[in-house]
Order: sequence, then C-alpha cells, then structure tokens
Amino acid sequence: MHDEANIRRTSLTARGEPKQWLFGGALVVALSLIAGLLVIVVVEGAATFWPRPLELAALRDGTRVLGVPMATEVYSPTAEQRVAIEGLRARGELGGFAQDSAGRALRRLYRVANRELGHDPFRWVPLHEVESVERPREALFVERRSWGPWIGIPEALLEVDRVRIAEGEPLPPAEGMVDGVGVRYVADGGGGEGAYVRTREVARGAEATIAALRAALPALAARRAEIERINKVEIGRVNAAQEWWRLRVREMEIRLAEASEPAGRLGWPAWSGVVVAAVVAGVGWVRLRGVPGGGQRAGRRLGAWACGLVALLAGMGAVLERPWGARAITAEEVAGAREEAGAAQGALQAEFDALRARVARLEAEDARVRVVVRDVTTGRFAPVRQSEPEEPLAASQVVRAVQPNVLGLGGRLGVYGSRWWEFVAGEPREVNTEGGVFPVIVGTVLMTLLLAVAVVPLGVIAALYLREYARQGAVTSAVRIAINNLAGVPSIVYGVFGLGFFCYTVGGYIDSGPEHAASRGAWWAVAVVTGVVAFAGVALVAMSRPVPGTLPGSRHRWSRRLAALAWLGAAIGVAGLLVATPYFRGMYRANLPNPTFGGRGLLWASLTLALMTLPVVIVATEEAIAAVPRSAREGSYGCGASKWQTIRRIVLPGAMPGVLTGTILAMTRGAGEVAPLMLVGVLKSVSQLPVDLQAPFLHLDRSFMHLGFHIFDLGFQSPDSDAARPLVWTTTLLLVVVVVVLNVAAISMRGRLRARLRAGAF
Amino acid sequence: MSVIEAIRAGRTFEPAVHPQIALEPFVLQASGFSLWYGKAQALHGVSMHVPRGKVTALIGPSGCGKSTFLRSVNRLNDLIDGVRVEGRLVLSGQDLYAPDVDVIDLRKRMGMVFQKPNPFPMSIFENVVYPLRVDGENRRRMLEEACERSLRGAALWDEVKDRLRQSALGLSGGQQQRLCIARAIVADPEVLLLDEPCSALDPIATLRIEELIHEISQRYTVLIVTHNMQQAARLSDFTAFMYLGRLVEFGPTAEIFQRPRLPETEQYVTGRFG
Ligand SMILES: Nc1ncnc2c1ncn2[C@@H]1O[C@H](COP(=O)(O)OP(=O)(O)OP(=O)(O)O)[C@@H](O)[C@H]1O
Ligand SMILES: [Mg+2]
Repeated sequence: MHDEANIRRTSLTARGEPKQWLFGGALVVALSLIAGLLVIVVVEGAATFWPRPLELAALRDGTRVLGVPMATEVYSPTAEQRVAIEGLRARGELGGFAQDSAGRALRRLYRVANRELGHDPFRWVPLHEVESVERPREALFVERRSWGPWIGIPEALLEVDRVRIAEGEPLPPAEGMVDGVGVRYVADGGGGEGAYVRTREVARGAEATIAALRAALPALAARRAEIERINKVEIGRVNAAQEWWRLRVREMEIRLAEASEPAGRLGWPAWSGVVVAAVVAGVGWVRLRGVPGGGQRAGRRLGAWACGLVALLAGMGAVLERPWGARAITAEEVAGAREEAGAAQGALQAEFDALRARVARLEAEDARVRVVVRDVTTGRFAPVRQSEPEEPLAASQVVRAVQPNVLGLGGRLGVYGSRWWEFVAGEPREVNTEGGVFPVIVGTVLMTLLLAVAVVPLGVIAALYLREYARQGAVTSAVRIAINNLAGVPSIVYGVFGLGFFCYTVGGYIDSGPEHAASRGAWWAVAVVTGVVAFAGVALVAMSRPVPGTLPGSRHRWSRRLAALAWLGAAIGVAGLLVATPYFRGMYRANLPNPTFGGRGLLWASLTLALMTLPVVIVATEEAIAAVPRSAREGSYGCGASKWQTIRRIVLPGAMPGVLTGTILAMTRGAGEVAPLMLVGVLKSVSQLPVDLQAPFLHLDRSFMHLGFHIFDLGFQSPDSDAARPLVWTTTLLLVVVVVVLNVAAISMRGRLRARLRAGAF
Repeated sequence: MSVIEAIRAGRTFEPAVHPQIALEPFVLQASGFSLWYGKAQALHGVSMHVPRGKVTALIGPSGCGKSTFLRSVNRLNDLIDGVRVEGRLVLSGQDLYAPDVDVIDLRKRMGMVFQKPNPFPMSIFENVVYPLRVDGENRRRMLEEACERSLRGAALWDEVKDRLRQSALGLSGGQQQRLCIARAIVADPEVLLLDEPCSALDPIATLRIEELIHEISQRYTVLIVTHNMQQAARLSDFTAFMYLGRLVEFGPTAEIFQRPRLPETEQYVTGRFG
C-alpha cells in the first residue's frame, strides 16, 4: 500500500525534474548546433562539383540567356515591373514558372559565366520577362584553364595552320573568312617575307564538334602535361643547378674576403698548453669515474665534472680554432672556381634555351586546334584571349567540356568524380578560384605534422620536469598557472612573436650569423666563466641534497636556490655565447640579401604553432604522468631502477595515452589556425611545394599554403568571389576531413596503446 | 607494569628478545632505528637481528610500523618527502643510511613484493626480467633463462609459458602476485621483503603463495609482514611482534605462539587484542 501524503510532499522541483529537462534541453541545443554545422559543411561542400543543368531562357525582348540556374526567389517588383506583370497576368501570358503558388513574382539567378564579355558572371532575371525556358541538349559548359568557365553552344572545331612563304612565292587566293574559317594574311617578319593563316574546318555542328573535341582532348592533355613537366621539373632542375654554381662562387668569394682579415691566432706553445690540459683533464675524468666503491662519492663525482669541463673547453677550442687545419682560401682557387662555374653556366644556359625552344614548339602545336563555342546572348564566341576576340578558343585551354543537359546519372557521377579528383590532386589556377588544392593540402598536413614533431618532445620534457623532477612548491605552481594562461593568449600574438623572433631573429642568425660578433678573447673569457658557473651549479645541486634519512636544513635550501641561479646564469651565458660567437658566419650568407631561413617559412610557422599549442601538451602530459599509480613507481624503484629508468620504462609508457591526447588537441588546434600563419609563413600561392625531389627533399625554409588561409582567400580576396563561394564550402569540407583524418589516426593509436595498458583489467 | 602501559606512558623498555636469536647468524641488523614522517614518529628505536636464510615474520596491529620498517630496509621511504631516520640499519656489514651508499645498488640486493600486486604494463616476460634489464642485461639468452628459472621458482611457469609475450595485466590477481614474486627473485637478492603478499588473494591463491614462500625460503632470507597468525605460524622460523612503532617481542615462531614471554603477545596472537 502506498502512502498518498508522502507522494504529494515530494514536489517536481525537489526531484529536480525541471532541471533535468533544462540541462537535457541545453545539451540538445548544443548538439544540434554542432550537427547542423557539420551537415551544412558536408552538404554544401559536397554539392559544389555536381554538374547542374544549363537553362536557356528566351526573354520577351528577344534576348536569350543561357546559364546555370543558381537560385529562384520571391522579390518585390518595382512599380513598372508590377504594371508589366499585371498586364501579362491579365492577358494570361504570365508563365507558371514566373510566380509562386501565392502568385508572388519570382526572379532567378543565372550563372552566365563568360567573363571576357565584360559582364557580371551572375545575372538576376525577373521571370516575368521570360517567355520560355528550355534545356537545350547542345548547351556546353566549358571549364577552361583560365578566365573561368564559358557557357555556350558549340559550333565548330577548327585547325589553324600558320604557313610561312618564301620570297617570290605566290600567295594562295584569299578566301572569304566565314566564322573564322578561311585564309587570312598576317604580317610576319617583314622584309618581303610573309605568312598566312589557313584555317581548316574539322567539324561543324554541335554534336560533331563535341565529339571531335572529346576525341582531341586526351592528346591535348598529354601535351599540356608534357609542357608542364618541362617547365616545372626540367627547367626547375636547370635553374637549381645554375643557382648552385652561383652560390658556390659567391661563397668562395666571401671566404676569400674574410681570409684577408687579420687572423691573430695562438701560436704553437699556447696550443701545446691547451692540449696538455685537455689530456690531463680527460685522464682525470676517466680515473675519477672508474674507481669503484668507497670514498666520498659526491666529491669524486664533482672532480669528474670539473675534469669533464676542462676537457670540454679545451676540445671546443681545438674544434673551433682548428690550429692545424685552417688553411685560407687563395685567389687562384677562387678564379679557378669562377672559370669552372662559367663553363657550367654556359652549358646550363644552352640546355635552358633548348628546353624553352621545345616548350615554344609544343605550345605552337598546342594552339592549332580551336573550338568555336558561341555565347547565346551576344553571339560572340569564346576567344583565345581577351585581347584577340576574333581568334577562337584553343582546344588545349579546355579542361573539361560538360554537356549537362544530356548527362545521365552515370555521366554526372563521372563528371563529379573527375572534378573532385582535380580538386584534390590538382594545382590551383585563376588566383585559386579554380583547379585543385593539392599544394594546400600538402602544406597543411606537413605543417601539422611538423608542429606535432616539435611540440610533443618539448611538451613532454617540460611536463616531466615539472612533475617528476621539480620540487613541488610555490614556483612550480606559478609556472603551472603561467602555462595555463599561455593557452589563452590570442593566437595572433604568437604570430607576431613568431615573425619577430623566429623569422627575423633566429632565421636571420641562421642565414648570416651573429650581427655583432664578439672578439675571440672576450668570447673565450665568457665561455670559461659560463663553464665555471655551470660547474658551480652542479656542485651546489650536490650540496643541496641532504644525507639520506635526514631532513634538508637551511644550508640545503640555500644551496638549491643558488644552484637555480647558477643554472640560470649558465643558460644566459650559453645564449650569449651563441648570439655573439665569432665562429659562425651564417649558413646561407652567399644567398644574401635574399633570406633563406630569415623570412617566413614552414619551419617557423610550425614552431610558432608548436609554441602556441605547447600548454595543451604540457597540461595533458602532466595529468597523465600524475595518474601513473604510485605502486608501479615503487615497484620499479624496488627492482633497483634509477629515477630515469623508472620514468622511461614505467611512467612514460603509462602516460603515453595522455601524451597522445595532448598531441591530438595540439594538432587539431594547429591545423585549423590561420591568423598567426598569415604572419609567419602562409602565402596565397606558392610556386614550389615544401617537399620535392630535390635535396634536401623537405624544404623547411619555403613558404606554403594552408587550407584555413585558403578558405579566407577564396571567399574574400578573389576577383570573382561569387563564383568562388561554393569552393569555400568544399575547401572547408576538406579542412574538416584533414583534421578528422589526423585525429582518427592519433585516436586509433591511443586506443591501441590503452588496450595494451589495460589488457584484461577485469 | 605491562609493556603496553610503558609504551603509553612514553617510557623506554627492553623488548623481550628470546636468547635463541643470538645464536643465529644474521644478515640484517637494526640498532635503535627510529623513523619520522615529518613530525610523526613511526618507528621508535627498533633493534633486531634478522637471521640469515630464515623466514622472519613481522606481526602487529595495523599502523604499528611493519611496512615502514620493511620500506626502510630497501630505502623506499627516500621517495617520501620529510622522512628522517636515526639509528642504524646494517645489511651484511654495510650501513644502509651511510652517505656514500649507492641506493640503486642496494635495492638490487633485495627483492620486494607489495601488498597489492603491481605488475608493470608490459609483457609477462618483460615484467620478470625488469630488474635485469635495468641492470643493463640485454642478452636474449640470459634473459630467457633467468625468466624461466624465476617463473618456475614462483610456480607460475606452467601457467604462462605459452603467453610470455602477452600483457601481464591479463593475469589473475594470484598469478599477478606470483609474477611479482618471480620479479623479486629474478636477480638473486640477498633478502626478500614481502609486505602482506597474500592480503589481496583468495585462500587457494594464498596457499600456493605460501607453498612458494616456503620453497623460496630454502635459498633466501625472507622478511614477511602478515596479519594472518596461522600464516605466520605455518611459514616463519622467527616472529617479531611490533606495537606502536616498537619491537615488543622477538623469538622463534614456535615459542612466540606457544610460550610467549609477554601477556600482550599472547593476547595478540590468540586474537584477543589488536
Ligand atoms: N607516507 C606516510 N606519511 C605519513 N605517515 C605515514 C606514511 N606512511 C605511514 N605513515 C604512518 O606511519 C605509521 C606506520 O604505518 P605503516 O604503514 O608502517 O603501518 P603497518 O604496520 O604497515 O600497518 P598495516 O598493517 O595497516 O599495513 C602509521 O601511523 C601511518 O599512519
Ligand atoms: Mg602495511
């Protein structure tokens, strides 16, 4: 029996049901927003390449419009238009397509393309002006290598021959030029020489033309590919070789100029001293480390460190000063190299000219086949280029000719697939609004992978130090807070930092060496001081460890603080030594003033984003390290493992899933970032991929393209952004796919690791 | 006055150490060993000899410092901040807390098994040979031999010989504990430290482990902590009773259980106090 009174006393609010609905509702809203975002990106992105029908609208004033219907919408007509519409309606002439079910007037947006004709490639047509619409079979959507698509009716396929005539030879009779077909004289060369152009008709009529064009396209495409290969690979190789020779000579010239600077090196007695010191220290080091058991261990270890330090400094001196091997370059050698380079350059120039000639021949051959596709509105055919409206389009400019109104489902799918393939695997054309995004994908993926390669070791090492080695206290808490705050710094700030620090400072250093090199004496003095300070750090650390089983006293605490100071000082010293080294003159000085690493590039972009995503990795790794059970660590120590062995064999493997989580987050954030990349390495378009077949294969100094920036560029920076808008969606879809693929790879890796760690946790 | 009252009153007293102990050769010697966790003292001047080649059981109520004593022997307490010790612990003539002691080397001379099995997240094989690996042994043959030897020693070989490459985490609780024992004996330690090795196991697994300890005790010195009086009686040659951080009574197991010197010990071993 249940108790009525009790049931009534528990109100709905007390049971928390309304709150449950509220929270559930909030979750549903959030989820549907996310799902909506994905659905829109996928639908819009996937629809871009679907071949749409072409519609021919015959207007009442006699104009005809052929285009892709993009959208139909209700609008509010002007007073005149309203009068016209009412008149038509009264006469019963208003087509059903011109109004919606409620009788409101409609207009339709046509993509009419054909940009050379000087009009907007999109055109709104109020539908009451339209007398009839049809979908003509022969309407052709021509995707071209440049100037965007051309929509029209194909008429003829022509073959143009340029015939040169010798002096005195009679000219063939001029035939009438009909629609660009016939014989035409052109002034060529001059001085009595002449040439004429004879145009032959290969096919006429829509169907025949399309068939002939289809037949001709594979050969044309093959020739195109050959031209591109020569331009890119062969000419690229020749250019690279020429550059190599130039840099070689330049490098030798620079070295010759340096060799004339006063040397002032140490004499052999001083070097003998250095060598003796090094040998003595080395022997001491070996002996102090090698003696087993007994004695004051700490003291012995410090002695070993001191000997090692002396040996290191002496060895550095021997390597840097090279007292025996530094032979100056002579003027004769430079002259010889110059001569050799001259000869090589000559040969390369000849090769270059031959290649260019070959390209020119191929291009002339390429221009022979022409296709006449007529715009229905103006009656003009697609020109070979805008400045020559009387020359019909070269068939080799055609990427794809689609007859959308006769395509069945299979045909449509074929066109769809081939457009996707072109998009994913092709190079961009027409300021990115057409063609593919292959270099963009490569750039994005490479940048993201490099970012992971840079951020993971750095983050893991930092987290290990913070969690395993650092004494937990106020300082580590402050560092943790600072790291968490770094995660919230706006990304553009990282971009500015990256540009200023990585590109200009570090990159400039790599290119041209230190700006103000110290004198050798001062440098060595600093080196010795730094060494002594580092040694003091080691000694202080040893002193800061209490005898086992006793508590650290104030002596130990002060030693620890001083040791930290000493390490800081040593780090500053090392930085100073690097910044002012007289032994490094830059790796790419021959190329100056053109920057190699001293400008924006892939490496700096990756490092900037690595810095930006570092907090994510550190935090995730730290948590994972803290989650490794104490019992596992104690077990390891109990087996006689050292701290490092425990970390490497127990802690790190256990923390690996967490590290991967951090990596995933970092990569996702990095792959989608745009703002800092615009400052440190992304370009609108690049001529060379950051990976290619020329050594060193991965060119970290090159700029690259990135999907995020590409989207921005397509949508808002392109000359024809209306036409490019669908591509924005497609590129967005691709970006999502790239991020998802990278993520899925990392997540599956993490899943496997976790499975291994958890196997049989029952 | 009884020992308990003396302890409560903070007075020092002499633990009742049976004379038979003095006849045994010892491997580990604690003299006046005290340990503090920060301000709290966990061991109060413990002095005892652990006989060589015998099983010595540490018994006593929860929190009396048995684990602390065991962990002091292989210096696992170093990992805890704020631990301070006084007195001496000497293993085969070497002071364990001397400033120049190599802790790592020291721990290699002992094997330790914990209350909860703690296999590492790696294969069974790698688990067993872990102490050898960290010692720099990488010769396949040697590792395989040692692995088989110590798995046989831990009575686990027949069960796992076909799945050495599989994760150790897939073993049952009892198997995991025997794996930990195999790991502890693989490097031939001088002393085996067992901290309630059977507390997480069912009676059958406990029995097997007990048999195992019995077998092992032929070769090693074993120091075992247990709450199970029968186990202490069955397994050990000597028993030490601890209370509130002090050693109270220490003698041959038979005597401790049948003729204890102190009434407190008798009450504890018969379950009337603790
Ligand atoms: N890490 C630690 N920090 C502070 N105090 C500790 C720590 N470990 C143990 N103690 C204290 O030291 C005393 C002895 O603990 P210990 O673990 O040695 O007891 P035990 O005899 O092993 O008990 P049990 O039988 O329950 O395992 C207890 O009072 C305990 O609270
Ligand atoms: Mg315990």
